Amino acid sequence: MVALFLTAWGLAVRLSHSDLFPTPGNVVRGIAELIEKGLLLKYIIASLFRVSWGFTLAVVIGVPLGLVLGWYSRAFQAFNPLIQIFRPISPIAWIPVAILWFGVSDAAPIFLIFLASVFPITVSAIAAVQNMQLVYLRAAQNFGLSTGELFRQVIFRACLPQIITGIRIALGVAWLVVVAAEMIAVNSGLGYLIIDARNAGKRYDLVVAGMVMIGLIGLILDLLVRQLEKFDEVRWGYSR
Amino acid sequence: MTMSLRKSLLIIAVGWLALITLLHAAINLHAFHPKSAAIEQKKFRIGFLPVTCHLTCPVTDFINKQLTGDNIFEPVRFNGWPELKEAYLSGYTPATFILAPMAMALREQGVPIKIVYLGHRDGSAVMVHKDSHIYRMEDLRGKRIAVPNRFSNQRLLVFRALKQAGMTIDDIELVEMPPPDMPAALYAKAVDAISSGEPFMGQTELDGYGRVLWLTKDVWPNFISCVLAVHEEMIKTKRDTVQRLVDGIAKSGKWIDKSMAHRMETAQFVSKFYYNQNPRLLTFVLSKPPDRVKYTNLTLRKPDFEEIEQLGRESGILNGSAHFEDYTDASFVTDESAVQPYAWEPNEQRAH
Repeated sequence: MVALFLTAWGLAVRLSHSDLFPTPGNVVRGIAELIEKGLLLKYIIASLFRVSWGFTLAVVIGVPLGLVLGWYSRAFQAFNPLIQIFRPISPIAWIPVAILWFGVSDAAPIFLIFLASVFPITVSAIAAVQNMQLVYLRAAQNFGLSTGELFRQVIFRACLPQIITGIRIALGVAWLVVVAAEMIAVNSGLGYLIIDARNAGKRYDLVVAGMVMIGLIGLILDLLVRQLEKFDEVRWGYSR
Repeated sequence: MTMSLRKSLLIIAVGWLALITLLHAAINLHAFHPKSAAIEQKKFRIGFLPVTCHLTCPVTDFINKQLTGDNIFEPVRFNGWPELKEAYLSGYTPATFILAPMAMALREQGVPIKIVYLGHRDGSAVMVHKDSHIYRMEDLRGKRIAVPNRFSNQRLLVFRALKQAGMTIDDIELVEMPPPDMPAALYAKAVDAISSGEPFMGQTELDGYGRVLWLTKDVWPNFISCVLAVHEEMIKTKRDTVQRLVDGIAKSGKWIDKSMAHRMETAQFVSKFYYNQNPRLLTFVLSKPPDRVKYTNLTLRKPDFEEIEQLGRESGILNGSAHFEDYTDASFVTDESAVQPYAWEPNEQRAH
């Protein structure tokens, strides 16, 4: 399928006689050039750094928040409108805010990635608690657990499969916004590579090279998160 | 069993964060270079875009580093006007190269910004597709023209050209587009004409699908588009630093214009170390013709800005509440003939 796609792409460029749009060969040479200059590794590390921190913050804040909001319906009613208002706002719209708050440091793209990924995580955790089977709770109540124990031992575990699905989606989103997040004047990263290549004149091979690298790393990240679903603690949740 | 799984996941996560942070700090931030961290603290940042309008910024940086091994400021490259402007507003870049009307509009809105020197003169064009039948301004009737920003001087330039041709803004369709996207848009004939700072106009010519409708010098001689602006507070508290900055920019401008050899050398090192473009592009723009963009005669003159003010009011981007004395401080270089170009010759000190 991939081979077919590449052939069609190459043919389409040749048939349209476009000397702006790169062929797969141009892109491979573009990637080779980036490796040669030592830029590719630099940029991948920079992007992974920002996504790692933004995403980790989103998990650390999003999961507990989602569990609490899912459990206390009053808190849910109070906070849910706010979450639903913030959720559809594109990270691109937040760029000015990020620059004004964080300047042009790494904190600004991390903030944007955090914003993009925290909502899917929170929302999936809320939904997980709200859809939890009552039998777990009854059992827990019979054992007389404290609130802290209840959250850690029962609610968190019962919701883990759904939370991990949410995390998987959120990681995809976090990686998705890396281009937008790096539109701020950072001077490294795969998103920056794309924007920089547009500045560099006719270097659309590098633009597509950046797209290819983002796609490939996205694929690897998804494969890694899928591994989480294989653990005993959550496997029961995926009926297959 | 479960504890150990959770623990190992936690260890992997923390380990990964530590590893990627360390790598990023080492490779991208150069945090482990002994000297950089301490010095960077003291330097102030200047915002610029990879366009010829801001050329004196990297040239000053480069020549200073060649002469003294260091520079008083740190140039920060942006990729678009909004981000550049927001970084200035947030105080991250206390000095910046910026579109003259944008600086004036910011002043009208109460932002403490002062223009202290010009960035260049001329250095813009209106390009059409070589296959099009557009040869005069009148041929643009009903056509779509791309300009970088509503506050760009290119927009005012189009206004002025329309006026000269007896047309109005309603005769054409103006769209805003980031300059790096313009060549592709013209190539794909998504727009009929494009106008921005160089080198994006020269690029279409170099790649063989763009044709010059007119250069700025044909329609608006001594056209100003970008200026160097600094925060008002910086002028008050660090006047000597601003003076050194403006002196450096003025010397660079004179240096670039001193000879064609200097221009060609500029094209090489700026492309390589600052703009990340093919040197062919800047070489072309700085030489064909040589007066396509100029870096002398850069002191602030009231009549120039009054003309921009008037066009700005007519085109609806300025309200006329700020005047030359409000948005400029022309005291740093009053007599440009006294400015000497940098005493640096590339061939002698090619050791880098």
